[in-house]
Amino acid sequence: MSEETFLTVSNVCKAYGEGDSRQEVLRGMDFTVAKGEFCVLLGPSGSGKSTLLNIIGGIDSADDGYIAIAGDKLRDMDEKALTRYRRKHLGYVFQLYNLIPNLNVKENIEVGAYLSDDPLDIDELLNTLGLWDHRYKLPNQLSGGQQQRTSIGRAIVKNPDILLCDEPTGALDYNTSKEILKLIEDVNQKYGNTVIMVTHNNAIQDMADHTIKLRDGKVRKNIINENKISAMELDW
Amino acid sequence: MRNPLGKRLPRELKKDFKKYAVLLILMIFMIGIASGIYVGNDSMMAAIDESYELYNIEDGHFELKEEATEDLLASMPDNIDIYEQFYYDVVEDIDRDGNDDATVRLFRIRTDINRACVNEGRLPEAEGEIAIDRMHASNNDIRIGDMISCGGSDYEVVGLIALSDYSTLFKKNSDMMFNAVDFDVALVTDEDFDTVDGTLIYQYAYDFRTAPESEAQEKEWSDDLVERIAVIAATGGYTSDKDEAEELADNVDEWTAYLEDIEAQSDELEARGEELEGRQAALEEHYDLVMAGDPEWTAEAQSLQDDAEALQADVDALAAEQDQIDSVIDSLEALEEYDDDTNELTDFVPEYANQAIHFAPDDMGSDKSMMSVLSYVFIGVLAFVFAITTSNTIVNEAAVIGTLRSTGYTRGELLRHYMMLPITVTLLSAVFGNILGYTCFKNVAVSMYYNSYSLMTYKTIWNADAFIETTVIPLILMTVVNFIVIYSKLRLSPLKFLRRDLSTSKRKKAMRLPSISFMGRFRLRILLNNLGGYIVLLFGIAFVMLLLAFAIGLPETLDHYKSQLSDNMISPYQYILKDYKDEDDQYITTSDDSAERFSVTNLVTIDGVYVGEDISVYGFIDDSTYVSLPSEMADDEVYISRPYADKFSLDAGDTITLKERYTDKTYTFKITGIDEYNGALTVFMKNDSFNKTFGNDEDSYSGFLARNTIDDLDQDHVYTVVTREDVMSLATQLDHSMGSMADYLAGVCMIMAVLIMYLLTKIIIEKNAGSISMVKVLGYENREINSLYILLTSIVVVVFAFLTSYLSVAGLKLAFAVMMYSMSGWFDAYISPLGMVKGVAILLAAYAVVAFFDMIRIKRIPLTDALKNVE
Repeated sequence: MSEETFLTVSNVCKAYGEGDSRQEVLRGMDFTVAKGEFCVLLGPSGSGKSTLLNIIGGIDSADDGYIAIAGDKLRDMDEKALTRYRRKHLGYVFQLYNLIPNLNVKENIEVGAYLSDDPLDIDELLNTLGLWDHRYKLPNQLSGGQQQRTSIGRAIVKNPDILLCDEPTGALDYNTSKEILKLIEDVNQKYGNTVIMVTHNNAIQDMADHTIKLRDGKVRKNIINENKISAMELDW
Repeated sequence: MRNPLGKRLPRELKKDFKKYAVLLILMIFMIGIASGIYVGNDSMMAAIDESYELYNIEDGHFELKEEATEDLLASMPDNIDIYEQFYYDVVEDIDRDGNDDATVRLFRIRTDINRACVNEGRLPEAEGEIAIDRMHASNNDIRIGDMISCGGSDYEVVGLIALSDYSTLFKKNSDMMFNAVDFDVALVTDEDFDTVDGTLIYQYAYDFRTAPESEAQEKEWSDDLVERIAVIAATGGYTSDKDEAEELADNVDEWTAYLEDIEAQSDELEARGEELEGRQAALEEHYDLVMAGDPEWTAEAQSLQDDAEALQADVDALAAEQDQIDSVIDSLEALEEYDDDTNELTDFVPEYANQAIHFAPDDMGSDKSMMSVLSYVFIGVLAFVFAITTSNTIVNEAAVIGTLRSTGYTRGELLRHYMMLPITVTLLSAVFGNILGYTCFKNVAVSMYYNSYSLMTYKTIWNADAFIETTVIPLILMTVVNFIVIYSKLRLSPLKFLRRDLSTSKRKKAMRLPSISFMGRFRLRILLNNLGGYIVLLFGIAFVMLLLAFAIGLPETLDHYKSQLSDNMISPYQYILKDYKDEDDQYITTSDDSAERFSVTNLVTIDGVYVGEDISVYGFIDDSTYVSLPSEMADDEVYISRPYADKFSLDAGDTITLKERYTDKTYTFKITGIDEYNGALTVFMKNDSFNKTFGNDEDSYSGFLARNTIDDLDQDHVYTVVTREDVMSLATQLDHSMGSMADYLAGVCMIMAVLIMYLLTKIIIEKNAGSISMVKVLGYENREINSLYILLTSIVVVVFAFLTSYLSVAGLKLAFAVMMYSMSGWFDAYISPLGMVKGVAILLAAYAVVAFFDMIRIKRIPLTDALKNVE
């Protein structure tokens, strides 16, 4: 893990709605994330963690403050530049996988590889993901865990600088969840991507390098974990 | 690396095989027909273009009242070569049962000009052999080897031909429509031609020695030619200069008057001489009395001497004019040598104005534009079907799209991805459609033309226009429509896609609905949520209804026109005489009770929607039993027929100016009323006014109107007889060439209606599959779900069907009017209320089939759809 600051979140504010229905989701968030760090955004429902992840991902924008990746502020980028940013630097993993139903496992991963000039070896990745035997199956022939593995494969095949994970275990059972967390941990260690994971599961913070606890749109705690444990050791 | 999303395309096609198969079939069918018509049309047009040289088609022809003398022909303009192509119009008795079946125009075999294309068999080689028009033969089921009777003589049909100057069988160039059923052209040997019993028509074809450089020049030369030939014929070749001819006519009048005056003077002098001689004789008898100084006789002697001197003076005066008289006589005698050559131009048709040559290519040209419009509308409708389908796919795949956009896929990449399918299907349709077009449908198109026109043989040629019309334009249409719809969908942010919030409307609350029953409101919600689909359905139904209006309206229009004509003819028979007096200067009369004298001539329009439209001007006697005109009408006051009024937007109070076709002489009339006669574009006036207007003798007339055949007229005096069949030839021919297509078109419409409605309702049901599944989970029965979805669509279809039936009739009338504006003649499109109901019934029958399949489809939607993951 490097100590070099890679992601800067500076005084980020975000509100939705107008007038009486206006709701402030983010109320001035500040923190930084180092390159290669496994960072967990932890908080209850409505704490603004998904909104923050979307702003970091460049698919939503802050009303105030800024996000900077390696010194480049997202607010200075136009739509094309943001798309380029996402294409080159970001991988996304969602709670509901969002796989393309009529592409098989390997092809779904190729969808991510297509975006990179120097993608990872797909066959090797399939082995890493434990999907080699399922590579020709369609998403509806897979279990939830296998679908999420595929989704992670799609995200990391382009070897992104940042892997954004939005509740990746939210729809999975205990054992499968741990397998997925282990996979993300392995990926982080093997490829050195910066991982930012949104979760409401307190247990997951134990495997992270860095935990940001959020509540009511504010950073409540910013914890560097010196004694992190392996994903397989987690229990909840 | 190739975009892996491309791998979805074959799977999408496979997954929704039925839907895409229907779309493919529809597009292949439409593109195939369009391609077939284009290829068939252009191949045929190329054959027609080549035929000008191949068969040496004339640059025009003219007819003279009598056969031209050699001297007259020698004095014809020297920029043309002239070819005799005399003909007889005689009765054709196909089954030789003694009844007249048709009129056949008999020519000798023409070797120099307007040569024949032999479609089957050969040209006649021996006496008793005949080659007849292929189209006419087909219409009347005449085959090679059959015996037919023409002009009372029997012939064996040895060839079926297309005369290069009769690709369309127009009997007269001024006819509203050709008639390949009741009119025929044929070739016989010289020996047979010389023995035909009938009135020989002296027609001469001409070719310009140097081809005109442009159409404008051809017209200019033709205009000049008609004037010169008319003058040459009228002056027996003395001059071709109109002014000189007019001056000559004035001089001849003057000279004739002068000689008549001299003759009168001479007669008077002679009478006076005779009278003086009588007096001289009397004086001599009374010589003794004169000598005796009798005062009376002495005075007489003196008077006689004075009169004799006066007479001598007058004789001397007349003798002094002898040189002038001799000069005038010499001039007149010089003209006498032209007397035998004088003739009269009775018809002149330049090639570019010859309907028999040009109608087919012109009509075939309009087929292409009609086909283009139809295929554009149809491909447009299908493009919207695709757009709606893709739009629904985008809604279903919103989360995936959001994910892809989040990970860096550009909007352009996704746009191209979603456009790939419609474009691929269009390309596939274009390929297969064109294959069908060049093979199967081309033959359909060509046989349609062969079924209407007497066309020569052709070769299929590659057609760039067909490629543009059937490949490029459909692709552009499909691309543009889908681009607009898909782009507008994909404009939303990735976040909106991830949240599946794809509404572009700023409306925060759902539209309030009237307080009707819950099911009613439910249906309204479905309608509002699927508005796009229903709007495309409206266009689809409108398109099918328009085609149905043609399929049903065309035969009805012709039947209506025919029945109106039958009820509303001027008279069942019109006998046109060559002259109203016979060789003995006696009026030609008849004892037929129904016969009534009338006059008729043809003028042409000089302005309005169709310049050069033939207008028949009739003159009727006072208290005519055939046409009712007011008892008091000024000489320039006329009634016009309803079609004339409709086509040229004229009404009582308007003034019209018409001109003689081959001169610059114009006539202006004031319209005082509209007659409902709809057989032709006509002007009705009093016969006396007619004669005054056209400078005829006070008591002249053109012929007789009659309710039945007139038997006591010498056939040598009759120029032609116009019967009900002649007036109805337009409807008969249209009926023949398009009537059979109507049933076929109705069938195609029904299939098309089924397919279009199948597609659109399928899309609507698929879009609502989740909701349908959900209401099933909630406990709704299929019957109730049908009452929500099927009943709603049924109501919409019924409303649209009635709505578009009115629009389609308006469309039919408009299209028909546009067609009639471009051709001679006029009648309105007509579709009866029953016909409209029939159209709606066909559409609803087609929908009933679709609704049946929709019910099955709804029944098959599983309950688990509502519970499974949105992907």
